[in-house]
Amino acid sequence: MKPKALAIFAVVALVGSACSNATSSPSGSAAGNTAVKIGVELPLSGGEAPNGGPTLNGIKLAIQQIQVPGYTVTLNTQDDAVNGVNNPDQGAKNIGTLVSDKAVFAVVGPFNSAVAKAEIPISNEAGLIQCSPANTNSTLTLGDTAKQLRQAHPDKIAYVRVVANDDYQGLADATIAFKDLSKKAMYIVDDQTTYGKYLADVVETQFKKMGGTVVKHDGAGTNVSDYTSLLTAAKALNPDVVFYGGVTSTGGGVLRKQMVANGMGGLPFIGGDGISDGAASVASSFLNIAGDQGDIGTWMTVAGAHDIPDRATLAAAYKTAFNAELGAYSAAAYACTQVYLQALKAVGPDREKIRAYVTTTTNSFDTVLGKIGFDANGDINQHIISYFQFDPTTKDWKFVRQNDPTAA
Amino acid sequence: MSALRQLRNSLFAGLKPVSGPTGNYLHAHQSLSVVFGMALTATLLPFIILLPPFSGFATQPDWVQGFASAGIFVLLALGLNVVVGLAGLLDLGYAAFFAIGAYSYAYGASPFSGVHLPFWPLLLVGALVAAVFGLLLGAPTLRLRGDYLAIVTLGFGEIVPVVFRNANTYTNGINGIGGMYRPALPVYGTFLGLDPVPYYITVVALVTVAMILLYRIQDSRLGRAWMAIREDELAAASMGINTVTTKLLAFAIGASTAGLAGVFYASKVTIISPDSFLFAVSFTILAMVVLGGMGNVWGVAAGAFVVYEIQSEFLKQLNGFVATLGLPAVNIGFLTIDISKVDFLQYQFLLYGLALVGMMLLRPEGLFPSRRRQAELHDADDADAANQELVEA
Amino acid sequence: MDVGTLTQQIVNALTLGAIYALIALGYTMVYGIIELINFAHGDVFMVGSFVSLWLLADFLGFRGPINNPLQLVGILVFAFVFSMGVMGVVGVLIERFAYRRLRNAPRLAPLITAIGVSFILQNVIQIWRGPAQLNSPQLIDVQAGFYLGSAFVHWISIFVITLAIGLMIGLQLFVSKTRMGRAMRSTALDREAAQLMGVDINTTIAVTFFIGSALAGAAGVVQGLYYGYTFFQIGFQAGLKAFTAAVLGGIGNTTGAALGGFTIGFIEVFASQAGYTSWSEAIVFTILILVLVFRPTGLLGQRVVERA
Repeated sequence: MKPKALAIFAVVALVGSACSNATSSPSGSAAGNTAVKIGVELPLSGGEAPNGGPTLNGIKLAIQQIQVPGYTVTLNTQDDAVNGVNNPDQGAKNIGTLVSDKAVFAVVGPFNSAVAKAEIPISNEAGLIQCSPANTNSTLTLGDTAKQLRQAHPDKIAYVRVVANDDYQGLADATIAFKDLSKKAMYIVDDQTTYGKYLADVVETQFKKMGGTVVKHDGAGTNVSDYTSLLTAAKALNPDVVFYGGVTSTGGGVLRKQMVANGMGGLPFIGGDGISDGAASVASSFLNIAGDQGDIGTWMTVAGAHDIPDRATLAAAYKTAFNAELGAYSAAAYACTQVYLQALKAVGPDREKIRAYVTTTTNSFDTVLGKIGFDANGDINQHIISYFQFDPTTKDWKFVRQNDPTAA
Repeated sequence: MSALRQLRNSLFAGLKPVSGPTGNYLHAHQSLSVVFGMALTATLLPFIILLPPFSGFATQPDWVQGFASAGIFVLLALGLNVVVGLAGLLDLGYAAFFAIGAYSYAYGASPFSGVHLPFWPLLLVGALVAAVFGLLLGAPTLRLRGDYLAIVTLGFGEIVPVVFRNANTYTNGINGIGGMYRPALPVYGTFLGLDPVPYYITVVALVTVAMILLYRIQDSRLGRAWMAIREDELAAASMGINTVTTKLLAFAIGASTAGLAGVFYASKVTIISPDSFLFAVSFTILAMVVLGGMGNVWGVAAGAFVVYEIQSEFLKQLNGFVATLGLPAVNIGFLTIDISKVDFLQYQFLLYGLALVGMMLLRPEGLFPSRRRQAELHDADDADAANQELVEA
Repeated sequence: MDVGTLTQQIVNALTLGAIYALIALGYTMVYGIIELINFAHGDVFMVGSFVSLWLLADFLGFRGPINNPLQLVGILVFAFVFSMGVMGVVGVLIERFAYRRLRNAPRLAPLITAIGVSFILQNVIQIWRGPAQLNSPQLIDVQAGFYLGSAFVHWISIFVITLAIGLMIGLQLFVSKTRMGRAMRSTALDREAAQLMGVDINTTIAVTFFIGSALAGAAGVVQGLYYGYTFFQIGFQAGLKAFTAAVLGGIGNTTGAALGGFTIGFIEVFASQAGYTSWSEAIVFTILILVLVFRPTGLLGQRVVERA
């Protein structure tokens, strides 16, 4: 055992000495500036990298472009994807790491609603504020479920988001079906995840409220790869529109592809932001998997404003910095960072002061998304959903309009 | 049931010196040494990680937080060791008992159920509930051979999360149960999410108690019965061992440890969902047991701890380390291997797979084997070699 | 449920069942001969689908249906032969390096090794092609078909069912009529006696693995053609269900595996029809447990499970 133990120790020592704490970048020191950090908690590896990467870039662009006098702002980046998949336990751990880094005064993230559920109890306890650029699940901010997550300080909000929640998104999706497409009989499939199921349930409720009928609502879990039997059963009930609650990787694209194979390709297909993952040329995106025929007649919504005031400028700056197109959540992440930097300027880097400032409902922030603020639950006070339709000429999603679906 | 009486006797045996298959010693002597060993390790660990290589990876609170989580896996590995290592029954659905323990806590102390029982008695409740399910799983498998047993347990491991996911009214389905109450001590108060020390101490205590009990059982009649069944069930039965109760007890005790770990886990993360208990978890625990040394209590504990730390700290650091080395990409035919871009975290399961295969081929008794197990496994090799010679001759 | 839907679902069930049957055959053959549940077999199916994806999409550059019937047949034959051959070799290599040494070891060792191999295969594919779903070219037009009453039957379904039955009949003939087949049967019956009779055990076992893995490879090609996509995790679930099929039919019995495969296909499809999709996994595994407990010899009950 002895030589083995020595060998192990030697390897560990070698590894340890060669690497420093690789997660935080060295703090520069312009004379007199206080070094502070914004924590980042996103999925950055494996299958989630195409989601987390552009989002992180949005944050990087913001701290690059915006200076707060007296402070040097850097990032402490943590990855919550384990084995390529969002992992709530890892997320919780990462928040703990960010809390123990005293220079971190605020956190941007997470991306996935299930991860957020694991993180909110901890950030709430620590009083460290989180701003999510992508979580849409309503139970994170609304109702008893949200309060239960804030076990340590139930009345202190330490979680805000710059996207509308699924109550609005589901309403928007139902509106597309009922008002835009004039359909009356809907077939719903959800992927049995927190996000997908909730969204599908909201769509069902709203569609029925508008006067439509739901012929069938199937829960097809993440392991289902054969939708033919489901589709055959549903086809017999004569739906005229299909809604999918879920993401591409749990079967959205495959479902659409099999719809085509089973003669249901003529039915319009609506999804939420879970299928918003790029053009048909992007490998493994919804449009790519669904196939050329499947893409026709598809719609999707994004829980945020697409047509933002200075989109072109932002996109150009992003392209210069990262040589890529703006990601779906880059602008949202940029906005989160702007909120934090404005708060930093106003009250300094004390965590509690920042948290209080951001969550004060009367405060408003100038961001790329417009002038925004947060309501008493931490939700953004701007409930805008963007609607997209597939464009066969560009083989990509085309922006149709954006509005507050409750006002429409 | 005489098996239960055996169990009780072995646990509360006096200070009679025993001469057993694993050596001469006093029961109490060994239990004390476990307590001392654990206390020493537990006290030293938070300080060892203040030393240079480790201090660069993470801060002390993070390390201790990691240790508390590692403790959960140590408990799980100890429990699976009873089933797989001691009794030789391959259980591939072990995470199901972990889930049952966690959900028991959720029913006992969360706003979802509306009940708020204290943590400490719930530990026992969780262990008991899991033990009952262990019996329920064990009962139909009694007549099955190793391979079929493995598949049935795998099936059970798949069924339990599906049930939890679908029984919405009882388990809140995929959303899981959140907002669970943290443990509380009379003078100290409620545990905090950010302060890892109380959780760490609790898990160290749980592991110590578990190890003491497991050592006792291992050296008792029950333990020896397990080893007999592991080696040759038919021979054991003909020697008068009641294979039914022995196997059932293996499942029950293994499951109860997982239940214990489940309750602790739930109280620490405060939100659980069916997706935390999938096959990957069962597989990881199995890998820990196999690598650590099936059948050897402290070997399995050490193995579990080491594997967990590698997975949660070192693989991540390995990425950074290799990136700083700046090795160039290598071209072999049409494959380009770029070591500096490799994400070792992603390869975690590949490494586990390779480790499992390698271990089984080269050293099936594990890294820290029990001598008995080593003899068992390599005896088979020698017999095989002898047979080969006979056949070829 | 009207007749049209019923017919359609029956066709769906037969197609799905055909895929399970092809995979189940490999399980049952390997178990019959060395009494090992090859956990990695489901992943052999998955790798097969990736091999065929590489061949058709990357190497030959196909994107969609082939209209020229001669070309279609030619490419299909090539794809099947290639994938089956490659997976057969992979199966032989797995046996040679991971299982052979452990043939006489305690039961636990090869089982654990098999799980390790399963994870290795999954991760190698994940590293090679990434963790996301990938499109597979569907050479046979999935929308082409004919009307049978009010039901629309796709040509691809007919193809899959016929192919599976054809391969199974071919296997039966091989096992019952050829010398190697006889060697396989005798090894399965009594390994030592077979050795004494001059059967080369190592070769026989290797051939068994080759055939079993080749069949799984064929199922992999079918996955790409019928579903049009693949991804690195499809092996695990499909493997478990196929194993259930093998046990249901009677492990060690090739006809039983086929029967079991179709049965599981029917159960899954009609569970979906009734609205119980999310429970279908649990249903299949419960069936597995019930069969193992109450009738371990399976429906066609040939091999007797020894009391351990």
